[in-house]
Amino acid sequence: MTVSNQLTSDATSSRFGSTEQGRMVIDIRGLGKRFGAVAALQDVSFDVQRGEFIAIMGPSGSGKTTLLNILSLLDRPTEGDYHLDGIAVASLTEREQTVIRREKIGLVFQQFHLIPYLSALENVMLAQHYHSVADREEALEALEHVGLAQRRDHLPSQLSGGEQQRVCIARALINAPALILADEPTGNLDADNEGLVMGLLERLRDEGRTIVLVTHNPDLGERTDRIVRLQHGRLAS
Amino acid sequence: MVLRMLWRSFFEGRRRKILAAATVALAATLITTLFALSVDVGDKMAKEMTSYGSNIRVTPKADAMPLLIGGVDYNPLKGRDYLNERDLPKIKDIFWRNNIVGLVPRLALPATAEIDGTALRISVTGTYFDHLLPLPSDEGYRTGVRDINRFWQVEGTWPDDASESQALVGSRLAARLGVVAGGTLRLRTGDGADGPLRTVAIAGILTTGGEEDDGVTVPLAMAQAMAGLPGRIQSIDVSALTVPENDLARKARRGPEALSSEEYDKWYCTAYVGSIAHQIEEVLADTSARPIWQVAAGEGAVITRIQMLLLVVSAAAIAAAAMCVSALMNTTVLERAREIGLMKALGAAPWEIHLLFVGEAVIVGLIGGALGILAGYAVAQGVGWSVFQSGVDVRPITVPVVLAISVITVLAGSILPSRAIAALLPVEVLHGRR
Ligand SMILES: Nc1ncnc2c1ncn2[C@@H]1O[C@H](COP(=O)(O)OP(=O)(O)OP(=O)(O)O)[C@@H](O)[C@H]1O
Ligand SMILES: [Mg+2]
Repeated sequence: MTVSNQLTSDATSSRFGSTEQGRMVIDIRGLGKRFGAVAALQDVSFDVQRGEFIAIMGPSGSGKTTLLNILSLLDRPTEGDYHLDGIAVASLTEREQTVIRREKIGLVFQQFHLIPYLSALENVMLAQHYHSVADREEALEALEHVGLAQRRDHLPSQLSGGEQQRVCIARALINAPALILADEPTGNLDADNEGLVMGLLERLRDEGRTIVLVTHNPDLGERTDRIVRLQHGRLAS
Repeated sequence: MVLRMLWRSFFEGRRRKILAAATVALAATLITTLFALSVDVGDKMAKEMTSYGSNIRVTPKADAMPLLIGGVDYNPLKGRDYLNERDLPKIKDIFWRNNIVGLVPRLALPATAEIDGTALRISVTGTYFDHLLPLPSDEGYRTGVRDINRFWQVEGTWPDDASESQALVGSRLAARLGVVAGGTLRLRTGDGADGPLRTVAIAGILTTGGEEDDGVTVPLAMAQAMAGLPGRIQSIDVSALTVPENDLARKARRGPEALSSEEYDKWYCTAYVGSIAHQIEEVLADTSARPIWQVAAGEGAVITRIQMLLLVVSAAAIAAAAMCVSALMNTTVLERAREIGLMKALGAAPWEIHLLFVGEAVIVGLIGGALGILAGYAVAQGVGWSVFQSGVDVRPITVPVVLAISVITVLAGSILPSRAIAALLPVEVLHGRR
C-alpha cells in the first residue's frame, strides 16, 4: 500500500501535477522485443491519448499479444521506452510494476480467466481486493453496468461465454483504471455476443475511458477511433 | 475476501486434499502413538519391568558391608540390625515419591516345618501381600507383593495381611511335605526342637521360580511375632519408576560427591535409580539403599530402544507425508496455474497467493493432524490394552504438539510448490499459448 501511494503520488503530483494533466496515457518510443533469435517487435512507436479507443490489428504472429503484454506490464521490452500515464516504467522493479498494473490497468483476455469457484460478483470483488478493499456495492454496480446484476451469484460455469466476458469487463473497470487493455476479447464469442461486448467497450469509451483493443475483426477495428497496424513486429503504414 | 477464497477454493481438488490429509493423518497417528507410548509406556514399561522384581533394595547400613573371609560372611552385625516398619512411609515422602510404585518389606527367620512326624528346616519370610500403609498426608498407600511381584503365582488364596495364622507354602516345599491349599502346617521357630510352635492354615501354594518355592511366606506381622521382633524388618524392596541411565547417572555411581553442585542438582532432580536410592538413604538413617543394577539398566535400555524405533518410524512417516503433500500440491499448482497467473495479473502480491495455497495446505495439515491424533489415541489404547492390559494416558500436550508437527510437515512440503508459484509468469498462462 505504501509503495503504491508513493508511486502514484510521486508520478502524478511531483512530476506531472494531477492525473488529468498527463494527456498521454501510452507513449512508446522505439519499442523492441526479442525472444532469442525471434524479433517479435521492432521499433514500435505510438501514443494513445486519454479517452481514446484504439485498435491494434495485424495478422497472426505479427506481435499484437507481445505488444499488449508489454503495455500491461506483464512483460518487459528488450529495447525502447514506455511511459504509462507519465511514468517511465522500464526502470521499475517487478513489485512496483505489479502495483502500477493494479492501479492503472484493467485487463480483458480472450479466454476470460475467471476464478471458477468464485461467483460473478466475487470475481469482480477479487480485483477490488487486490487493488485496495472489496466493496460489494461498488462491485454490484459494475455488474449492473455490464447488464449482469441478476447473475451476480452464478459461478462462471453457469454463465455463457458472452456473459463471462462481460464479467471480465466489469472486473477490468472496477478500479477505475487509466487504461483498459483487451486482447481479442471477442475471439471466443459468437456474433451476437461480440456485438454486446463491443457495444460495452464503446460505451466505456463514451464515458471517457482509454481503451486498447486487439482484434482480428476489421468491422470492430472500424468502430474505434484509430487503428494501429502491425506487420512482422513493425508498424505498418 | 481471503477467507472466502480459502473456503471456496478449499473444495477444489477435493480428492487430492483428502489424500494429502490422509498421509498427514497417518504420520500424525504414528507420532501420537509414539508420544503416548514413549511417555506413558516409559512409565508403563517400567511398571511392567518392575513387576519382575524391585529395583532398589534397602538394608541396614552394616549389612551393606559384607566382611567376607573365605566366602563366609563374618560381619558380626550381620542379620542383627533391623529397619523399623514404621519408617516405611518415609520412603513415600521423598522428592520422587510419585515414582515409588511399590514397597515390600521382608523379615526372614529360620524355622522348622512339622507334619506327620517329618520335620524340615526351612525359612519363613514375612512380607506385605496387599497391605494398606498409613501415610500421614493422605488416605494411605496400598502395596505388597501381589502388585509388585506380578509373576508370583498362587494356587488357592492370598493370605490376609492382618492374619497371624495364614501362610503360603512354596510349591517345592509343598511337594516334599505332601500338603495342598486348605491344609494345615505346624511351624516351630528356630532350628532346634524347643522353639514356640504355631499351627498355620495353608491359604495357597506359591510358585515364584525363586527361593520362595522352598520356604513359607507369611504376613509380615506374623513373621515378626514368630521371631519376637515386633515392628522390625530386615530389608525393603522398593519398586521405582526410573529414567534410563546416562553419563551423569554413571558418574554419580561413584558417589554423589563426584558431581559438581550443578550436576548434583540436575542428578537429584532426575528420576535416576541412583538418585532415588540416594534420597531414600537421606530419609532412612543408617540404611543402605542399593540399586539392583541389572534390573534398572535393563528397563532403561528397553525403553530407549523402543523409543528409538518409534522415533525412526515416525520420522520416516513425516518425511513421506511431506513428500506426498509436496507432490500433491505441485499438481494443484500446475492445474491452477491460470488462476495463479490471473491473480498475479490482477496485482496480487506474491505473499497473497502463497497465503492462499499454503493456507489450504495448513488446513489440510490441521485436519490430517486432528484425525491422526484421534487415530493415534485409538492405536495407543489398543497397544495399551493388548500389552499392558490397561489404557494409555494421552497427555493434553500431545494435541498441540502433534498439530504443530503436522503443520510444519505440510509447510515443509509446500516449499517446492511455493517456488513453482513464485516462478510462474502470467504471460505464459494467460494467453493460452502454453
Ligand atoms: N515467449 C515466446 N517465446 C518465443 N517466441 C515468442 C514468444 N511469444 C511470442 N513469440 C513469437 O513472437 C511472435 C509474435 O507473437 P504474438 O503472440 O505477439 O502474435 P499475435 O499477433 O498475438 O498473434 P495471434 O494473432 O495469433 O494472437 C510470434 O512469431 C511468436 O511465435
Ligand atoms: Mg495474440
